[in-house]
Amino acid sequence: MDIHELKKQSDLSYDIAVAKRNALEKAHSRLVVVYNEHIFRADPETINLVKTLSEVHTSPLYVLDSNKNPVEIPDPSEFLQVLVQRNQEAISSYHQMSKTFEKRND
Amino acid sequence: MFCFDTSETKYHKVLERCVVLAKKNLKLPITVVTNLDTFKKIKPLGFINYKFIDPELGNTKSGKEWNNVDRHMAYELSPYDTTLVMDIDYFCFSDNLLQYMDTGYDFLISKNAHDLTNRNSFDLRRWSMIDMVWATVFVFRKGRKAKQVFDMIKYVKSYYSYFLDLYRIRDRRFRNDYAFAMALEQANGFISYDTLPINLPTLPPDCKVVKIDDNGIAWQYKDQINFIQNQDVHVLNKEMADV
Repeated sequence: MDIHELKKQSDLSYDIAVAKRNALEKAHSRLVVVYNEHIFRADPETINLVKTLSEVHTSPLYVLDSNKNPVEIPDPSEFLQVLVQRNQEAISSYHQMSKTFEKRND
Repeated sequence: MFCFDTSETKYHKVLERCVVLAKKNLKLPITVVTNLDTFKKIKPLGFINYKFIDPELGNTKSGKEWNNVDRHMAYELSPYDTTLVMDIDYFCFSDNLLQYMDTGYDFLISKNAHDLTNRNSFDLRRWSMIDMVWATVFVFRKGRKAKQVFDMIKYVKSYYSYFLDLYRIRDRRFRNDYAFAMALEQANGFISYDTLPINLPTLPPDCKVVKIDDNGIAWQYKDQINFIQNQDVHVLNKEMADV
């Protein structure tokens, strides 16, 4: 492989790395969800917490929002549904983007 | 939104793009704070409100006129109960910001930016004793708490040099980012305050915007071209007005 080909490959790798990082950041932005006038991240930690609490604790639940303020959640199953929906929307979009990165690398 | 043309930069062209995207993706009523000279150059943008003020002059950036000093008047100028204040170089390619209109918070602002060129160039911004904020995008709900914050911003602005020294901020220009950060620190008892949990996607000033359409933006950095779609972006290179 000559140096020009290597440079081309390196540039492509750089482009993909930047695009991937930006797509991940896009997903992170999309994971933020407002519920009951408070801000949450629909990330695995929040989803697991709400899922676990709703299984072993009676309603209402009390959780912390993104600014560490306590929030009462009167309907945990609705909240969990909102979190899961937003999480999957954001991650599936990231998944679609990552498929395009694979194609560019082929 | 605040928009004032200068002798070097046609900010009204940036505004035109910003308004179209905000209307499409946020679907919120829009008020533009401007002056008559700038207003005359803005193309018809449909139903939006205009408020006219004479911008406070005297501030500069890289030796060029920079009319950015009037942001502290957002509280008085806003006709809304809950207001999203946005720089005109922040382009909404998504509806992500819309949900922040529905929180119970009185004042929300972001502390972090994401460098879209992946160089983490904004991490070096903390040349001070306190966390900086990005006054590019913030949300406030009219009431006692938000009024206190804006009153404090006005106070910080009045004694800006003193506060720069107090917080050991190197940059001597008036910057809303610093004024807001200092005011929030003061108004919230020097401990902490509520923030938007987002990193504002930002394109550094050394990136040239090569294409912008309804869905995204493409830019050139050195010999590389990259793009984003359906993701908000704060463009620091003002030459994008001519793209």
